[in-house]
Amino acid sequence: MNKGDFADRLHAAVARHVGAPGTLHDLQQLTGGANRTTWSFDADIGSERHRLILQLAAAAPEDVPAPLAGISPHPTAEEGAHLMMAAVRNGVPAPRIRAILETSDGLGPGYITDRVDGETLAPKILREPAFAPARAKMTRQAGEILAKIHSIPLAEVPFLKGQSAAEMIEAQRKVVDFYGLNLPAIEWGLRWASDNLPKNARYTVVHGDFRIGNMIVGENDGIRLVLDWEIGQAGDPMQDLGWLCVKTWRFGGKLPVGGFGRREELFEAYERASGFTVNPADVRFWEAFGSVKWAAGCLRLGTRGIEEMGVERCAIGRRIEEPLWDFFELLEGRD
Amino acid sequence: MPSSLPKATILLQAAVKYLEEELMPTLTGYHRFKTRVTANVLNTVRRELELRGAHAAAEHQRLVALLGHDGEVEELSRELARKIRAGSIPLDAPKLREHIRQSLADALAINNPKWLDR
Repeated sequence: MNKGDFADRLHAAVARHVGAPGTLHDLQQLTGGANRTTWSFDADIGSERHRLILQLAAAAPEDVPAPLAGISPHPTAEEGAHLMMAAVRNGVPAPRIRAILETSDGLGPGYITDRVDGETLAPKILREPAFAPARAKMTRQAGEILAKIHSIPLAEVPFLKGQSAAEMIEAQRKVVDFYGLNLPAIEWGLRWASDNLPKNARYTVVHGDFRIGNMIVGENDGIRLVLDWEIGQAGDPMQDLGWLCVKTWRFGGKLPVGGFGRREELFEAYERASGFTVNPADVRFWEAFGSVKWAAGCLRLGTRGIEEMGVERCAIGRRIEEPLWDFFELLEGRD
Repeated sequence: MPSSLPKATILLQAAVKYLEEELMPTLTGYHRFKTRVTANVLNTVRRELELRGAHAAAEHQRLVALLGHDGEVEELSRELARKIRAGSIPLDAPKLREHIRQSLADALAINNPKWLDR
């Protein structure tokens, strides 16, 4: 499809689903990933100009090698949109869905959301003085937002696939075997995770990738929007708290919560908003296992690198030891 | 004696020097970023050529001590990985964690030496 055809189809889809006349302005591609592409545009709806985002799922998200298919519980684009709608209904700052594309739109699976301004880049959010007021708020906001995500009734999102910690560990072993990696360090980490599974875990909606990079942040108001719902799933809610603390996702920041906050403040905000007590040991399990899981992610992304995004993807493969090193540091209390 | 000179590590050093000192200052945005990553990758290959021999020899010694028999280093490492997964070697076995930490440190010295300095 050339760009003219694409714009014509998008115009028609906007007019049909969002409102006439749907005339497009400033259509530009923001990102083109392996799993999806993101476009920014404005559209005339009635007499107003609306600021919108188009998310398109890749033609085949099943670029995952067959033995690994189904390991990560990806919702479809349509399910992802319904998850975001449920999130918004329950008070989560998720993108507001304006339209879900249909086959007859000729654009492939995807959806249109409102566009929200702000910053997503970690170095700016974590280090620029202008973001100091945001950093002071983000830990509390993260706790409150996660509490809301975890309170979305599962009945509103019955399509979400569930994954227990034990199933996730098994999935990482499959990844390791598929690529033929013999790495005692990752086996040690997976074995440790098997031996230390959290007990009495709750079972809730889980975002699955809640961290800087997947949120839009304003300088003074902090977290404005939570993005990237495409590995939304059901499981132990403590994994979202742990994942946010994984050292990789601190992007060089000194503080344990996402590089910007203290664990105690996160837990306190979460407890106040959710009414559930946080057991720090459970969060620590998910933080430690999160590092091991990300090591397997480096293997997966790096090995598919040449076809997908070239040299920087390949380079991710060589980052496998970083999270494993962090895993042992965490176990030894240097975190 | 190497069979030909300059050594591979010197060729890589020369290539990185061109990328970093001459090409990168002329670039912005996407290509500057890609060139940065390319120079990093070439540096990784150079460090691997420089360090791999010594690392493998030390790893071999540690694995022989851990497993109690000799073999090729890749074979021994695969055996250790399998034993850890099967639970036939306990996670707190003497010298196991030290071996893993040293192997990770050695790999980081090749792939991203800065990680150890944080």
